[in-house]
Amino acid sequence: MMWKMKRLLVFSLLIFLLFSFFLLKLNFAQEVMEEEQNKITQAEENAEKIVPSPKDIKESIGIYVFVVWMWIAIIVLIYILRLKIKEVDRLFYIRFFSAKKK
Amino acid sequence: MKLKYSLFTRRQFLNGLFGGWLGALMVSFLYPVIKFVFPPTREPDQVILPFLDFKDMKPNSVKVFSWGSKPGFVKKNKNGSYWAFVAVCTHLDCNVTYIPEQRKFFCACHDGWYDENGTNIGGPPPRPLRRLILIIEGEDLIIKREGVK
Amino acid sequence: MNLLGKKKRAQSWFDERFGISGIVKFLREKKIPQHKHSLWYYTGSAIMLFFVIQVITGFMLVFYYNPTLAEANKSVGRIMTEIPMGWIIRSIHSWSSSFMIAFVFIHLLSIWITKAYRKPRELTWMSGVFLLCVTLAFGFTGYLLPWDDLSLSATKVGTDIPRSIPIVGVWVTKLLRGGEDVTGDTLTRFFGFHVCILPVFIFILLAVHVYLIQKQGMSLPLAVESKKEKIQELPFWPNFVYRESVVWLILLGILFTVAIFLPPSLDKSADLMAPAPEGIRPEWYFLFLFQALKIFPAKILFINGDTFIVILILVEFLLFFFLPFLDNKPAEMKGKFITFLAYVTIVYAVVMTVWSLL
Repeated sequence: MMWKMKRLLVFSLLIFLLFSFFLLKLNFAQEVMEEEQNKITQAEENAEKIVPSPKDIKESIGIYVFVVWMWIAIIVLIYILRLKIKEVDRLFYIRFFSAKKK
Repeated sequence: MKLKYSLFTRRQFLNGLFGGWLGALMVSFLYPVIKFVFPPTREPDQVILPFLDFKDMKPNSVKVFSWGSKPGFVKKNKNGSYWAFVAVCTHLDCNVTYIPEQRKFFCACHDGWYDENGTNIGGPPPRPLRRLILIIEGEDLIIKREGVK
Repeated sequence: MNLLGKKKRAQSWFDERFGISGIVKFLREKKIPQHKHSLWYYTGSAIMLFFVIQVITGFMLVFYYNPTLAEANKSVGRIMTEIPMGWIIRSIHSWSSSFMIAFVFIHLLSIWITKAYRKPRELTWMSGVFLLCVTLAFGFTGYLLPWDDLSLSATKVGTDIPRSIPIVGVWVTKLLRGGEDVTGDTLTRFFGFHVCILPVFIFILLAVHVYLIQKQGMSLPLAVESKKEKIQELPFWPNFVYRESVVWLILLGILFTVAIFLPPSLDKSADLMAPAPEGIRPEWYFLFLFQALKIFPAKILFINGDTFIVILILVEFLLFFFLPFLDNKPAEMKGKFITFLAYVTIVYAVVMTVWSLL
């Protein structure tokens, strides 16, 4: 049980590290955006920078639905994978396949 | 009727469930890919051209205009009326040319012939050239797809 | 039942011709050791995942991209505004490259620290170093392709660095730029590198790298190896693959979420005659190098500062490349010092990167 807790800790730490790494980039992106808002007059003059975003309300709703659906599917798949992992590990530890071969 | 034993093992059930969800997820990833790879290419509902450019055409001649990404012909008939065609062969999508001496449209790719009304008269073309609706409104020449208001 | 028999027949038909059963047998018998450093075994397949995404989205982007001076920026703009889902596809390509390079760094450092390059895996390490170079080259060439102010300046700086190498440097710069200066030819050339030349190299190197890993099996960290206990092992198929799938799914989810909510923007087309815009930066994975160039004085011991740093980088790279041969006594003082150097490198890179962002 201790071992599992440890593993969980390491996993969550890794994911946190990964995220914090990209949060850094996000912060940086926000700073740049703020800087740009200060220079908004200049930006209006050029008005050539393309900042991508959903075209219309339909597309942005579609995107939210997609993201939610994707995470639900991923969580369900991981749940099933966990069951499958348990099954194959058990089969391996009781030497199901190697016994059959003999 | 109640079955004594399940028709599926637990493993088969899990595999089916897993495959189903995975497939559904993959399909939802595939959707944007397909949208991207096959962008909507709509042909225009109508094209408006200045009539001035076509006023001085000789009878029995054609002038090219662009109908979306395809060439179109404005043809001045002998009696002075104007017709419009999509200048693409109905056989295999080659652009056709008009031969005024013979009063025929000709497709060089596979020797396809149409008469001056656009009717297929020789070679492989299966259908007449596509006609477009042409309206002259004051200074404008309006060319419309059939069935567009 | 009949159907099952037919499937068996079809399988054996193909097997007679392809000999797949050998590979299947190999994968069935392949074992992955389980210990407290097993986590690092997942980084390789994570890189693979992002690489596959790069290939797929790259194929898609190349359908609409024009690698010419007049059209490059416009065509990227068109992808982002006109083509359905274009901005998402570009965003995934851009983010996935960042993720891939991040995982390349993690993979590399984990191997350095666990000393997985020990005999007989020297060639695996070397092919890996080449793969790192090709991956960074992908990132560098890809950065120019949108052809906006930022990418132009970054490319100018980046292609000028080799000029400081004595004798050959000028020619390297010319080779990269297709002339004295960065022009439309550079763009076309970089596009060629990005979609033709580098892919050939990466596939060959990847084949060598993966083959070597399969041939030699998974490496064990020193600490685990020296324990002399029987190490727990799990079959690669299906036990380990299922575990990898969990990681893949999480990474895919993170990638798509980030890509959708933080898409990269596109500046106006670069002007070859305009002065460099303020706040130019390369991609984050070159920042440590960028900062080093910034803080170095113009002259050190009668040599040009740039020449000094470029030579320093080359020497470091050679040492790095031959690391498995330098680290020939991993368990002793020397080996421990080399591991310590890995941590120093991490600290150095992080400090430099953060500094350049300030």
